[in-house]
Amino acid sequence: MEHYNMNLTLKVWRQKNTDAQGKFETYPVSGISSEMSFLEMFDVLNERLINEGKEPIAFDHDCREGICGACSMHINGRAHGPWAGTTTCQLHMRAFKDGDTVTVEPWRAGAFPVVKDLTVDRGAFDRIIEAGGYISVNTGNAQDANCLPINKDDADAAFAAAACIGCGACVAACKNSSAMLFLSAKVSQLSLLPQGQPERKSRALNMVAQMDKELFGSCTNTGACEAECPKEISLTNIARLNREFISAGFTYEK
Amino acid sequence: MLDSKIPKEGALGKKWEDYKGHCKLVNPANKRNMEIIIVGTGLAGASAAASLGELGYKVKAFCFQDSPRRAHSIAAQGGINAAKNYQNDGDSVFRLFYDTVKGGDYRAREANVHRLAEVSGNIIDQCVAQGVPFAREYGGLLSNRSFGGTQVQRTFYAAGQTGQQLLLGAYSALERQIALGNVTMYSRHEMLEIVTIDGKARGIIARDLITGKLERHFGHAVLLCSGGYGNVFYLSTNAMGSNVTAAWKATRKGAFFGNPCFTQIHPTCIPVSGDHQSKLTLMSESLRNDGRIWVPKKQNDNRKPSDIPEEERDYYLERRYPAFGNLVPRDVASRAAKERCDAGYGVGSSKQAVYLDFAFNMDRYGRIEASKRQISNATPEQIRQLGKEVVAEKYGNLFDMYAKITGENPYEVPMRIYPAVHYTMGGLWVDYELMTSITGLYALGEANFSDHGANRLGASALMQGLADGYFVIPYTMGNYLADDIRTKEIPTDHPAFVEAEKNVQADIDKLMNIKGTKSVDHFHKALGKIMWDKCGMARNEKGLKEAITEIQQLRAEFWKDVRVPGTANEFNPELEKAGRVADFLELGELMCVDALNRRESCGGHFREESQTDEGEAKRDDDNFSYVAAWEYKGPSQFELHKEPLVFEECKPTQRSYK
Amino acid sequence: MNWSQFFNTSIGKKLLVGATGLFLCSFIIVHLAGNFQLLKNDEGAAFNAYAAFMGHNSLIQFIAWGLKIIIIVHAVIALQLTFRNRAARPVKYAINPGNQTSSWFSRQMAIMGSILLIFLIIHLADFWWKFHYGDVPTRTYEGGIEPLKDLYTIVNSAFKVEWLVALYVIGMIGLSFHLVHGFKSAFQTFGLNHVKYNGLINFVGVWLFGIAIPVGYAIIPLVIYFK
Repeated sequence: MEHYNMNLTLKVWRQKNTDAQGKFETYPVSGISSEMSFLEMFDVLNERLINEGKEPIAFDHDCREGICGACSMHINGRAHGPWAGTTTCQLHMRAFKDGDTVTVEPWRAGAFPVVKDLTVDRGAFDRIIEAGGYISVNTGNAQDANCLPINKDDADAAFAAAACIGCGACVAACKNSSAMLFLSAKVSQLSLLPQGQPERKSRALNMVAQMDKELFGSCTNTGACEAECPKEISLTNIARLNREFISAGFTYEK
Repeated sequence: MLDSKIPKEGALGKKWEDYKGHCKLVNPANKRNMEIIIVGTGLAGASAAASLGELGYKVKAFCFQDSPRRAHSIAAQGGINAAKNYQNDGDSVFRLFYDTVKGGDYRAREANVHRLAEVSGNIIDQCVAQGVPFAREYGGLLSNRSFGGTQVQRTFYAAGQTGQQLLLGAYSALERQIALGNVTMYSRHEMLEIVTIDGKARGIIARDLITGKLERHFGHAVLLCSGGYGNVFYLSTNAMGSNVTAAWKATRKGAFFGNPCFTQIHPTCIPVSGDHQSKLTLMSESLRNDGRIWVPKKQNDNRKPSDIPEEERDYYLERRYPAFGNLVPRDVASRAAKERCDAGYGVGSSKQAVYLDFAFNMDRYGRIEASKRQISNATPEQIRQLGKEVVAEKYGNLFDMYAKITGENPYEVPMRIYPAVHYTMGGLWVDYELMTSITGLYALGEANFSDHGANRLGASALMQGLADGYFVIPYTMGNYLADDIRTKEIPTDHPAFVEAEKNVQADIDKLMNIKGTKSVDHFHKALGKIMWDKCGMARNEKGLKEAITEIQQLRAEFWKDVRVPGTANEFNPELEKAGRVADFLELGELMCVDALNRRESCGGHFREESQTDEGEAKRDDDNFSYVAAWEYKGPSQFELHKEPLVFEECKPTQRSYK
Repeated sequence: MNWSQFFNTSIGKKLLVGATGLFLCSFIIVHLAGNFQLLKNDEGAAFNAYAAFMGHNSLIQFIAWGLKIIIIVHAVIALQLTFRNRAARPVKYAINPGNQTSSWFSRQMAIMGSILLIFLIIHLADFWWKFHYGDVPTRTYEGGIEPLKDLYTIVNSAFKVEWLVALYVIGMIGLSFHLVHGFKSAFQTFGLNHVKYNGLINFVGVWLFGIAIPVGYAIIPLVIYFK
C-alpha cells in the first residue's frame, strides 16, 4: 500500500453548548498521512488549535478500536464516514484524497442533543435499555450454564444482534431519526434466547413506549440504518421487533 | 505490617467457604439506609453496582464516559476462563488456581486466586442467565477454546467480542437496578477526590464533566473499579480515556499502591504508523498458532517482504527457542521483537515492527486441503487459494480488521506487528476483602493488584473483574457495613467535604492558570516515551534512575508550561486530560521506583541484571517473594511496605522455553 | 397496553398505515379490472353497466364508504407520522447521503402519497361526485332494461383534455413510486421478513404494483386521448 500525504479542507460544526447557536468553521489541514485514522487527523488539528490559542474541537471517542461506540461523526453526509461496517475511529485517511473538502457534523436528532461541537448526549439509549433491555435475574440465582441448551442458529442470531455497540449511527443515518435498529437489536437478542422468554411481551411493549417517549421518529423501512451500522446489524431484527410488539400488543393482558 | 486478612482457619480450598459462613451480614431494612459509591462501570464496577443494588443498598455509580456501556472492558477479545470442566479434559478449580499462580510467575496471593477459581464457574452461569450469547456447539451447549499458559480448554467466548458481551450483560443488570431506583447513575462524571472522615472513606468529590461543577457525594463505603493505568505509556491498547486518576487520588490519600511496575506487554499488536499514532490495536495472540515471525537478516533492509528470499529471513523465535518457537509466552515474544528492532532489523516505514507471515502455513493448509479433496497436480496458485480459505475461516475477522487499519491485505503480504502495553497487573493494594489500606475504600478488577501476580494469563481479566463484582464484594461489603449501621448519612457540608472540594478546586484552578505553551498531549507523549524506553519491556538500574529524574523534570515542566484551553466550568476534554496526565506523571515515577526496587525479573517485569545465561527472566524468590505496597508520603517520596507471599500449594519453579 | 395505547405507539400507527395500505393495494386491482371496460369497443355498454352496479349494490356501497374511511385513515396517520419524523430532527444535516444508503423511492413516500391524495381528490370530484350527485345524461343500450347513467361519455370527453390526461399520468407515476417501496415496506412492518419470501414480495411490489398496475391505469386516458 503506497502511503501519501494530503491537504484537506475541513468544515466542522462548532457549538459551544446545548443551548448555543452552532455554525460551521472551516479549517485547512495539511500534511495529513494516509496512514492516520480519521480521529488522529482531528488530534493533529486540535493540537494545532491549542498551539494557536484556540479551542480544540470536542468529539466523543474512547476505545478507538471500533467497539465502545463512543465515536460519532457524520462525515460528508455519512454516519461514520464513507466505509461500510466501520466506526469513525476505524476510518482511515486513505479514504480521502488530496484536496478533498470534508464536512463533519454531529449526529443530528432531537433525542441526541448536542453537548458541544461534535459531542452529543445519547442518554436516551440508556433509558430505552432501562425500560426492559435486560433479563431480570439477580446475582446468584443462576442455574448451571449448560442446563439450558440453545439451538446454535438462535444463539448465533442472538449474538449477531447483540453485537450492537450503541453508537447511534442508526438514528443519525435514518431520515426519521428512528431508533428502531438499536431497539430491535436488543429485543431480538433477548427474544431469541430461552432466558428472555418470561419477560418477552412486557419488554417489547415497554421499550417501544420508551422509544416513543424519547421522541425518536418512526421507521419507514428505508434501510439506511442497516447500511450505516458499523456492526452491520440486519433489518430482520426490526421485523422481529415488529412481530414481538404485535404479538405482545394483541395478547398481553396488561 | 500489612494485614492481608486471609482467613486463618482451614485449608486453602476451604477459606472462602468458611469466610462466607462467618462474615457479618446487614439486614434488609438496614441495607436500605446504607449508601455505596462506585467509581467506574466496567465489568467490576457494573457487576458490583448491580449486585449491591439487588441486595438493597443505595448505590451511586459514576463513570466518565457518556454511558456505562462504554467502559473499556468492552474491548476484551479472547474470552473468559472458568473451571467448568465441560470438556472433560481434567480441568478443576485447583488447576485453574494453579495455572493462574504459575502464570503470574508466583507473585500473586494464593488465597485470592483460589477464591477466583472457585467462583469462576458461577460467573458463566450468571452471564448465561443474563442472556450473554456465548459461542455454542451444535448440540446447544457451550463451546470452549484453548488459551495460552494452560493445557485444558476452559475459555468461554463470544467470537472476538467476549468483553463486549459480558460488559453488556453487566450493563443491562445495572440498567435494571437504575430503573428500579436502587442505583443512581452519574455518567460523564469524574471522581477527583476521596473524602475521608475519622480515617474512613466517606465519599467523593466528582466533577460533572458537562457543566464543570464539583459535586460532593456521601457514601458509607467507596468502591474504585476504575481499571488499569496502561495509558501511562501514552500508547497502549487501552481506551483514550482510561486513566489512573481515581486510584491515584486514593494513593495520595493514603491507600497503598501494589506492584506498580507489573505491566503486561502483548506481542501481537498493529505497529505504530507515525508520530500521529494515538493508540494501539491488539491482534489476538491466537494468530501465532499459524503465523511465523521473522525479520530480514540484513539491517535496514528496505525491500518488500516478497522480495526477500527465504535464506535471507531470520525466524528469530524459532532460532532462539526451538522447543516453543513462535508460541513462546507473551513476555518472551515481546522482548525478542524489541531486541530485533532495536538492533536495526525492524521492518515497515517506522522500522518498529516485525513480520507475522502466514504464507508457509497457508501453503501447508492448502496442500492438506488439496489432498482432502483429492486434487492431484494442484498448481501452487490453487494450493495457496485453498490455504487462504482455511486461514480465512479461522481468523477472517482479525484479517479484516488488520486490512482496515493498515490498508494492506494480510493474505498477500505478511502482517506487521509489534508489542504494546495492554494490561497492568499492579494496582491499589487490597486485602482479602478487597479493601485498600483506607478503611471503607475498596478496589475491584484491574484497579487492584491482587490476582495476577507479575503476569496475567489470557482470558483471566474478565474473570477477575466479574468475580470481584458479582461474587466477592457482596459478601465482604456486608462484613464491613454491618459495623456501620449506626452511622447516619453524613451531610456534605461536613468540613471534610468542604476541604476536599476546596483542594480539588485549587488543583483545577492551578491547571487552568498555568496558561503555558504546550498541549497536554505533548507531555503525555513525552512521559510515554520515557516509560516505554526505560520502564517498558526491559528495565535496568541505570535507565530507571534516569527515568525517575526525567519524569521529575517533565512534571515540573508540565506544571509550568502546560496549556489548558477553555474554561473549567464547561465541557472541556483538555482539562480532563490534563488532570489525568498530571496523575500519570506521578504514577510513572512510582512505577520506576518499584521497578528499581525489584532487582529480579518476574513475569512482565524484566530486569536486565537478573537473567539466566540464555537471557531469560530470573526470579529471586529469596529476596523478592513479596508484594511491594507503596505508601505516598509526598511528592517523590514513597515508603515501601512488604506483604510476604506464602505459597502453600504452588511451589515456585523457574520457567524455560528452549 | 390497551388498544388505544397500542395503536398510538409509533409501531401501532405504522401497523394501521401498513394494513390500510395493503387493503388499498387490493382495491386498485379490482378498480383497474373495472376500468379496462372503458377500452371495450361497445360504446360504453359494459362500463356503464359496471358503474351502475357499483353505484347501486348496497354491499359495494358499504365497502366504498369503508374505502374512503380507509384512505383517510391511511393518509392522516401517515401524515401524522411524517410530521413527527420531521420533528425528530430539528436541526437538519448540511450534507445528506442521498441514494448511498437508501433507495430514492423509500424516502419519497410522503411526497408520492401526497401527490396521490391530490390526484384522488380531483379524480373523485371529476367522476365519482358527478356520477352520484351531478347531472349525468342517461343512455339505454340494446337489450338493456333501464337507462344507465352515461359515465362512459363523461370519461371519454374528460380524457380529451390534455392537462387532465397529464394529471392522470403524473398521478400514476406517484402511485408507482409509492408502491415500489410501500408494498414491501408493509410486510416489514408486519414483521414478515423471511429470506425465502422476500424475493417474491419484492418482485410483486416492483413489477405488479410498481409497474404493471400504474401502467395499466395510465394507458386508459392515453388510449382515449389518442383515439
